[in-house]
Amino acid sequence: MQNDQIHILLADDDDDDCSLFKDAFEEIKIKTMVEVVNDGVELMDYLDRKDIILPHVLFLDLNMPRKNGLDCLKEIKGMDHLKNMAVVIYSTSASEEDIEETFVKGANVYIKKPSDFGALKKILKEVITINWQYHTSGLNRDNFLLSF
Amino acid sequence: MNIKTIFTSSFFLRSIFATSLFILLFITGITFKHMIALADSAELLVHSYKVHIELDQLNAVIRDAESGQRGYIITKDSSFLLPYTNGPDKINESFSKLTSLIVANTQQQLHLDSLRNLVVMRFQYLAKTLEKDASKESDKYAVLNGMREGRDIMNLIRIQINKMVKIEITSVNALNKKYKNEISFTPLFTLLILLFSLLVFIFSYIKISKDYEILKRSNDKLLISTESITHAEEIGNFSSWQWDMESNKFIYSDNQYRLLGCEPQSFEAGIEGFLEYVHPMDKHIITEGREQVMNENKYPAAFFRIIRKDGELRYFKSLSKLLTDAQGKKILIGINSDVTEEHLINISLEERNRELEQSNKELASFNHVASHDLQEPLRKIQTFISRISENEISTISKKGMEYFIRIQSAAERMRILIDDLLLFSRTNKAEKIFEKTDLNNLLENAKQELVQVIEDKKAIIQSDVLPILAVISFQIQQLFINLIGNSLKYNKPGIAPFIKIECERINDKERSMFKTDMNRQYYKITFTDNGLGFEQGYAESIFILFNRLHQTNVYPGTGIGLAICKKIVENHAGHIRAEGNPGVGAVFTVFLPA
Repeated sequence: MQNDQIHILLADDDDDDCSLFKDAFEEIKIKTMVEVVNDGVELMDYLDRKDIILPHVLFLDLNMPRKNGLDCLKEIKGMDHLKNMAVVIYSTSASEEDIEETFVKGANVYIKKPSDFGALKKILKEVITINWQYHTSGLNRDNFLLSF
Repeated sequence: MNIKTIFTSSFFLRSIFATSLFILLFITGITFKHMIALADSAELLVHSYKVHIELDQLNAVIRDAESGQRGYIITKDSSFLLPYTNGPDKINESFSKLTSLIVANTQQQLHLDSLRNLVVMRFQYLAKTLEKDASKESDKYAVLNGMREGRDIMNLIRIQINKMVKIEITSVNALNKKYKNEISFTPLFTLLILLFSLLVFIFSYIKISKDYEILKRSNDKLLISTESITHAEEIGNFSSWQWDMESNKFIYSDNQYRLLGCEPQSFEAGIEGFLEYVHPMDKHIITEGREQVMNENKYPAAFFRIIRKDGELRYFKSLSKLLTDAQGKKILIGINSDVTEEHLINISLEERNRELEQSNKELASFNHVASHDLQEPLRKIQTFISRISENEISTISKKGMEYFIRIQSAAERMRILIDDLLLFSRTNKAEKIFEKTDLNNLLENAKQELVQVIEDKKAIIQSDVLPILAVISFQIQQLFINLIGNSLKYNKPGIAPFIKIECERINDKERSMFKTDMNRQYYKITFTDNGLGFEQGYAESIFILFNRLHQTNVYPGTGIGLAICKKIVENHAGHIRAEGNPGVGAVFTVFLPA
C-alpha cells in the first residue's frame, strides 16, 4: 500500500498557503503523502538527505526567503539524481517573465495559486494525475501554464 | 557673372589696350617718318632753288662782263670794263658756292666742270677780243670775229646751264612725285587707324562700364552677404576663422572676439591668443585637435569650455573643413559656436531623463507590489471565503450571510481592479514588438475569449475583412476584447446585442483631422453597436482612467477598460474616437497606421 502513495513536497514559506495546500490534498480522494519545507535552503537540505524517498512531484513557490524558487529550480535541474523529478511552480504571480524563465529553466508545470478553494482542489488533482512521462515528452510553452 | 568670366574679360581688356597702344605708336612712327620726309624734300627744294639761282647769277655775271666789254669797245670808256674786271672774282665765288651745293651729285659735278671750262674759255675770248681792240692795228673784222666766237661759246654756256637747271628740276619733280605718292596714302591711312582706334576705345569703354557695373553689383552682393554673415554670426552665436596652414596665419571674424568677451580684433588672431581664454582643463583639446588636423588629416568636432574675459564660463563647439584654394594653398576654415544654452538644456534634459528613469523604476516596483504583494492577501481572503461558503455556510445567521455575500463581492471587485490595473500598467511598459499580424485572427481570438458572454446574450457580431498590419498582437487582441466586451456589457435589456465591425482605408479629408503626420495612411475600424449609447458630452472622458458613467452595482466595472484601449491605440501611433447616442447605440472608431 505504501508504494501506491504519491509523494508530494511543497516548498512554501507562507503558513496559510501550506495549510490550505494540505487541506486540499486531504479532501482529494487520492492517496498522497505531503511534506512541507519553508524555504529554499531547507528544500535543498531535505533533498540532500539520504533517508528520504524522493518526492514524485515538487511544488515550488518562487518567492521564498534565503533562497528563492528560481535558484532552487536551477540547482535541481543541474543534479543528475534530481533532474527527472517533476517540478510544479506554485506561485501567486503569473507574470510573463516568471513563466518564461521557469519554463526555460526546465519546470514542468506552472500553477498560479487560485483564489478559490474548490479551484485549488481541482487543479492540484489535475496536476498529480498527469501522466508525467507523457507530459514531459510533450512539454511545450502552450500547455506549461495550467489554468483553471 | 562668375570669377572665370571676369578673369577672361580683364584679360580681354588688357589685350585691347595693348593693341591700342601698339596702333598709337605705329601712327606716331608713320607720322614722324612723313614729317622727316617733308623736311627732307623742302631742303632739297631749297637746294635746287639755290643751285638754280647761283647758275642764273653766273650767267648774269658773264653777260654783264660781255656787255661791259661791248660798251667799252664802242665808247672806250673804261668804266664799262668794271664788270669784266670784277667778273672772275664773282665767277670764282659762284663756282665755289655751286661746288659746295652739288657736292653729293656727281653728274652735276661733271656738268659743272665742263661749265667751268666753257666759262674760262669765254673769258679767254673776252680777253683776246679786248687785246685785239686795244692794239694799234685795230682790225674791225678780227674783233667782230672774236665777238662772234664769244657768242657761240656763250650759247654753249647757256645750254650747259639749262642742262644743269633741268637736272635739278627733274630731281625736284621726281622727289615731288615720290612724296606725293607717299603722302596721298597718309590721310586715308591715318583716318582708318583713327576710326579703328575710336572703335576700340568705344568698345573698351562699353566693356569697361559693363564690367564695372557687374563688378559693382557683385561687390554690392558681397557686401550684403558679408554683412549678413556678420549678423548671422551675432544672431546665431557663432564665429568663423581661417587658418592658412602654410604661413600659419589666422583670420578671426569679429564675432570670434565678441564670443570671448573681447573687443573685435583686440588681439592678434592665432592659437596662442585664443588659448588664453580656453578653460585650463580643456586646452589640450585645442592642441590635440590641431595635431590631428596637421598629422592625420582629421577634422573632428571639438567641444571645450571658454572662460570669457569677464570670467563667465561658456561651452563651445568647433567644426572645421579643409579648403584648397586656386594656388593649391591649404586653408582650414572653421566655425566656433557658443552652445552653452544647448549644453545646459542637455544637462537638464539628462537630469530629467534620470529622474524619469528613476520614476519608471519606482513604477515598475509598484507594479510588482501590485502584482504580487497585494494579490497574495486578497487571494487568501478569497480562498478562505470559498472555504466558508463551502463548509460553514449552514452555521451562519441570516444577517451574517448577507454581510458575508457583500464581503465576497467586494473581494471579487478588488480582484478585478487589481487585474485591470496590472493589465493597464502592462500596456504601458511592455516591450513594443511590432509584428505583421492578420487582424482577423486577433478578432477571432477576442471573440473566443468572450464566447460565454456572446452565447449568453445571443449577440451577433458581423465583421468586414480586416487587414494585415504590423502591430503588438496581444495588445490589439486586448483592444478588440475590450471594445466588443464593452458593447456586450452595455446592451439594452431584452434586445440581443448586434455589433458591426467595419474597416476601410481613410481618405485625405479624414486624414487631415490628424495633425501629426499628413502623409501617413490609416485604416479606420469602426465598432457600431445597438446598445445603451451615451451622451456625446462624455465622448472624451470615457477614455480617462477610472472614469465611469454607470453605478457599480448596475454595471460592474473598474473604468480601466477604455483607458487601456486608448493606451493601446496610442502605442500604435493611432487614434480612437467615441460617438454616443443615448438609447440608440455607440460607435467606437479606431484609426491604425497602415
